[in-house]
Amino acid sequence: MTNNPVNRLKTDEEIITISGLNKWYGDFHVLKDIDLTVKQGERIVICGPSGSGKSTLIRCINRLEEFQQGSLVVDGTELIEDVKNIETVRREVGMVFQHFNLFPHLSILENLTLGPIWVQKMPKAEAEAVAMKYLERVKIPDQANKYPGQLSGGQQQRVAIARSLCMSPKIMLFDEPTSALDPEMIKEVLDVMIELAEEGMTMLCVTHEMGFAKKVADRVIFMDAGEIVEQNTPHEFFDSPQVDRTQQFLQQILNH
Amino acid sequence: MNKLQTFTPSPARPAPENTVGPAVWLKNNLFSTPLDTVATLLLGYILLTILPGVIDWLFLSANWTGDSQDACVNDGACWVFVSAWSQQFFYGSYPTDELWRVNLSIAMLVVIIAASYQFEKGVREKIIIPLFLLLPVISIAILDGSYLGLERVSTDLWGGFSLNVLLAAASIIVAFPLGFIWALGRRSHMPFARSISIILIEFFRGVPVLALFFMGSVMLPLFFPEGTSVDKLVRVWIVLILFMAGYMAEVFRGGFNAIPQGQYEAADSLGLSYWQKTVLIILPQVIKVSMPNILATFVMLFKNTTFLLIIGIFEMLSTTQTALSNSRWLGGHAEEGYIFVAVVFWTVCFSMSMIATNIERKLNTDHQ
Ligand SMILES: Nc1ncnc2c1ncn2[C@@H]1O[C@H](COP(=O)(O)OP(=O)(O)OP(=O)(O)O)[C@@H](O)[C@H]1O
Ligand SMILES: [Mg+2]
Repeated sequence: MTNNPVNRLKTDEEIITISGLNKWYGDFHVLKDIDLTVKQGERIVICGPSGSGKSTLIRCINRLEEFQQGSLVVDGTELIEDVKNIETVRREVGMVFQHFNLFPHLSILENLTLGPIWVQKMPKAEAEAVAMKYLERVKIPDQANKYPGQLSGGQQQRVAIARSLCMSPKIMLFDEPTSALDPEMIKEVLDVMIELAEEGMTMLCVTHEMGFAKKVADRVIFMDAGEIVEQNTPHEFFDSPQVDRTQQFLQQILNH
Repeated sequence: MNKLQTFTPSPARPAPENTVGPAVWLKNNLFSTPLDTVATLLLGYILLTILPGVIDWLFLSANWTGDSQDACVNDGACWVFVSAWSQQFFYGSYPTDELWRVNLSIAMLVVIIAASYQFEKGVREKIIIPLFLLLPVISIAILDGSYLGLERVSTDLWGGFSLNVLLAAASIIVAFPLGFIWALGRRSHMPFARSISIILIEFFRGVPVLALFFMGSVMLPLFFPEGTSVDKLVRVWIVLILFMAGYMAEVFRGGFNAIPQGQYEAADSLGLSYWQKTVLIILPQVIKVSMPNILATFVMLFKNTTFLLIIGIFEMLSTTQTALSNSRWLGGHAEEGYIFVAVVFWTVCFSMSMIATNIERKLNTDHQ
């Protein structure tokens, strides 16, 4: 199988190309002239103050949000108003949410097999085998027959990651995956994400976990008021931020 | 070793005197304030003066055996009236030899309801739901008979309480998916689908059910092709379905509002299509959160089937009135008749409420 992320090495191939992207909510200009390219296998951490448009930006990538201006190409598919288009892209892009968003009426196993069975038309037995494989990777195969409500927050978030991985995505989006978790559960989720990064998954991750950023990110992006203010390697970004606003922001979260 | 002392728990003390016991209960619940005391005494007095007479009439001096009015010699209720007419009360004029068909239809309904309780989710989805949807068709085939090579029983003869039950069930089964589709339409971004849904929902919820029945018997035929005559009962069925679908759509709307946005987003991000998302993710959760209101709506519809007497359908209430005007039973048995109808309906509605409570408890513990 070619979709094993381990085999996916970093290349120079651009997998996401965003150029001149603008988005408004009514009169409110939420994303301003965003230009961003992401290479295959690249790990990007996005940070910035609340309301700066981080979520909105990554949600544009799998078209949970629409935008009014600019262009966005994901793995060769340009995101335009075409239903087929959207579904193709969504199959290739996994997303992990702050509040997990597991389906409460389905067991863990059913949560994981739903996408493969209905979207990829995989036979049930095969889908279950894939699901168990990923549950083992996130270290909770023994919870397969429980329901989401019976799991801790950290376990639920790991299930949510596994659910996305079952679709063999080429890109994973994370929107503050640990900020709804109790401190003692953050590590178990970050560990899974670090492992995923090490295997070469292309990742865009909105998070304020600076330890994680330093450890795995190829690039850290700082957003404020709908703009990309600064982007750099973690080393440069944390040690010698170029812009005032970045410095202020870093001081705030580091003193916090 | 010998330094260790054995632990002896201190003996339990009795609860403070003024918190337990029947005297305290009485004080707290019935005599806690002067006003409460007055109310309790007054109500107690009224009950004591009325109850003995009522009990005497209902049970002690009631007439239980016999088969004609003449058997009612005591002062109390003439339950003979009810037992003599019981077949009509339950089956209308359905031929006595063919009653097994009505029983079979009711039994199928009960078995499927019980089965949906019993079996696990997989079986429920694959077998029981399709059976539910087929039930109205199967029941009609059995009751009518002509499609199955049985003796045909015209719908004029169908009646009694079994008709209330089967008609309500058949309406609910069709109205449930229809109401869901209307509710979906109401949320739709397509202006046409949305306006149509809103008009339908608001019309069938806003017009009194009695008016709907009259319209159904007078106006519906105008919509059918010339020359076809559609059975009165079928017309009533259609009206009940539409009426019920309006209410169900409103119930579902409340359910939709309770589903967090994140559920839609998670489904979208997996690449599920609109219908996959709706049926696999949203519908089950909407049903779950709406369950109390769904069951309350069922009870309402079931009680509303008695309005059918007005347009000459022989449901239970109208059978009772027929019996009351029968020349051999003119002794004034209205009390017995209506009390019996009330008790039968109350029993079924109360059981439905019990089932509802039970289902809610089950849903609440199941998946948490
Ligand atoms: N549906 C919407 N309608 C109008 N405004 C919105 C909507 N969604 C988000 N916004 C606004 O857009 C701005 C950016 O929101 P976004 O969620 O992208 O911020 P964020 O950087 O992810 O913040 P946080 O760290 O709080 O998650 C905010 O000011 C928010 O109020
Ligand atoms: Mg956000």
